Amino acid sequence: MRRILIIDDEDDIREVAALSLETVAGWTVCTANSGTDGIEKAITEQPDAILMDVMMPAMDGPTTFRQMQKTPGVSHIPVLLLTAKVQGVDQRRFAGLGVSGVLFKPFDPLTLAEQMSTALGWN
Amino acid sequence: MILVSAVAFAAPSLAIAGLVGALVQQRRRCHGLQAEIDRLAHDAAQTRTDLRQRTELDTVKDEFISTVSHELRTPLTSIRGALGLLSAGLMGKVDDRAANLLRIASTNTDRLVRLINDILDLERMDSGNAPIRLRPCSLRELVLQAVDTMSSMAQEAGVHLEAASGTQGGTVIFEADPDRLQQVLTNLLSNAIKFSPPHATVRIETSTNHNDLTVRVEDHGRGVPADKLESIFGRFNQVEVSDSRQKGGTGLGLAICRSIVHQHSGEIWAERNDARLPGVPGTTFILRLPRNPATEVPVQPDVQTSGAILVVDDDPGVRHVVAEHIRNQGYTVLEAESGQAALQTAQHQDVEAILLDLYMPGLTGWETIERLKGHPSTASIPIVVLSVLSPATMNRERAPLIGKAHGWVQKPFDPGVLLAELGRVLHRGTGPCRILLVEDDPDLATVVLSSFQSESESHKLRIDHAPSLNEAVRACETNPPELLVLDLSLPDGSGFALVNWLRRQPNLRTLPLVVYSGREVSSEEMEQLRLGPTQFLTKARVQPKEIENLVLAMVRHLHEPVVELPAGR
Repeated sequence: MRRILIIDDEDDIREVAALSLETVAGWTVCTANSGTDGIEKAITEQPDAILMDVMMPAMDGPTTFRQMQKTPGVSHIPVLLLTAKVQGVDQRRFAGLGVSGVLFKPFDPLTLAEQMSTALGWN
Repeated sequence: MILVSAVAFAAPSLAIAGLVGALVQQRRRCHGLQAEIDRLAHDAAQTRTDLRQRTELDTVKDEFISTVSHELRTPLTSIRGALGLLSAGLMGKVDDRAANLLRIASTNTDRLVRLINDILDLERMDSGNAPIRLRPCSLRELVLQAVDTMSSMAQEAGVHLEAASGTQGGTVIFEADPDRLQQVLTNLLSNAIKFSPPHATVRIETSTNHNDLTVRVEDHGRGVPADKLESIFGRFNQVEVSDSRQKGGTGLGLAICRSIVHQHSGEIWAERNDARLPGVPGTTFILRLPRNPATEVPVQPDVQTSGAILVVDDDPGVRHVVAEHIRNQGYTVLEAESGQAALQTAQHQDVEAILLDLYMPGLTGWETIERLKGHPSTASIPIVVLSVLSPATMNRERAPLIGKAHGWVQKPFDPGVLLAELGRVLHRGTGPCRILLVEDDPDLATVVLSSFQSESESHKLRIDHAPSLNEAVRACETNPPELLVLDLSLPDGSGFALVNWLRRQPNLRTLPLVVYSGREVSSEEMEQLRLGPTQFLTKARVQPKEIENLVLAMVRHLHEPVVELPAGR
């Protein structure tokens, strides 16, 4: 039984991703719609992992991640980025960050949990 | 007297007149040149502006494509996610008609995603933003991989997939971008399978000659009409409009294939089978690649920039000889004739390692080492000392400084020893020593790997295994090893091709090697296979235990400096 925090500014994507993880893998999901809310939720909910969108207004995924790294209570939680940017030059941005993995949009709702498990080394 | 004077005046006057005339002519020419220079300068400024505008335009275009692709993917994510969940019955049972509609919606969403990917791909290739990365590839491996990838699709379609090779055994190694070529081969096979009736055969065949290699993908379907053989390579051109909807294609696959093949300086075209053999249905797609491509788009260099080796010796003869040996290995070399000059160079240029003579006038080698270690910008540069003396004969007060040298080569030096020592200091690693075993025989690989199992804990080794040339290259790129163990009897030429590729990577070109083979290696072959410290073993006479001992000895040598403190300290 895993507990996941999904951070994405798009309501629909949050809903579909949550439904996918709940119905396919039986995981528990909580959500946040911004980087700042996400960090707060992460502290209170203490999820096993965070799935975070890259392109968000105000504070984007990578910036939020760096903030999390400096925040006690959150820095230990593994983070997976979710991105629609698939070009090489964008990829290189993520390489040096230190996230546990990068998943691509659109994702297959039937295998999202499996992809996450593989990236996090849960299987 | 007057006559004489007249004559006396005439000559110099004439000379002066001539001189003035010449000067005037020069002046005119200068004006002309000046005008020419002005015109060229103006053209240059104009060209610079044009280039800047064009680059800005390219950047804007590239950003636009990137943004559009992202914007399209975002809503598609929700659509695909919602439809996928509904379609799988996870939101409650759906009746057959509803299930069918959901399936239709779902597959078409996938098609849209593929379309976006293809458009992005094609635009990037056209604008030169997707440079190919050349590396040695095995044609046989690429073909087998493509066949493997498409085998389940073929099975589902009831189509038989067959791979044939025209070469007389052995395999062909050539320079290409394996991922991109893989894209081409799977695309061709996918089309062939899509357009084949059940129980038909799709055949992929390779042949090579001295200059190029050819891949033919043959299907026995309906066949492309003769007047469409060229237009199918255009964008969104399908043989018949209904085909695209039926077969789920994007209409861009062949256009992308052609783009990739052109980037490799190759050709791709299609022929009707009945043009060769009357009565035989279907089409054959032919791909021809030169073995040594001169690529038309700038190739992304596969190497990182690296610094220079600084050779410091007051004797120009020695300096020159040492520099030459190192340059021949592909390094950039800087020279300094004194300790002072060395300090200057090391502080202001990108220096990877320093070869330092000890006894020099002015700042001695010892003083130079002290200064280098004392300055933050040069303290971490490894130093190899060149000296007629051995560290053992150094007196006690030098001892602390000897520890600051990372390597020691005695003069007169053996070039092999010099290069090996240089290779060693450049590959000093921390943590477990990373070893890569390149062995295609799975049984032999198991035997060699297991002989290290017991030692790997205590000696802190990490051994990775690559069963093919392709995987060895990938492994070297993602996780550069500190020592390579290579079976020379890999399919023809692979071992040599791998070493040649390694030699072109600045961070791997002095990689220590253990090469083993079932046959004797000639001295010419040894030279071709040498990078850093290289040892050769013949398999037939050597036990895995001996490989293990040799590798362990080299590992110890790699992780400890050669210098020993003089006795009595």
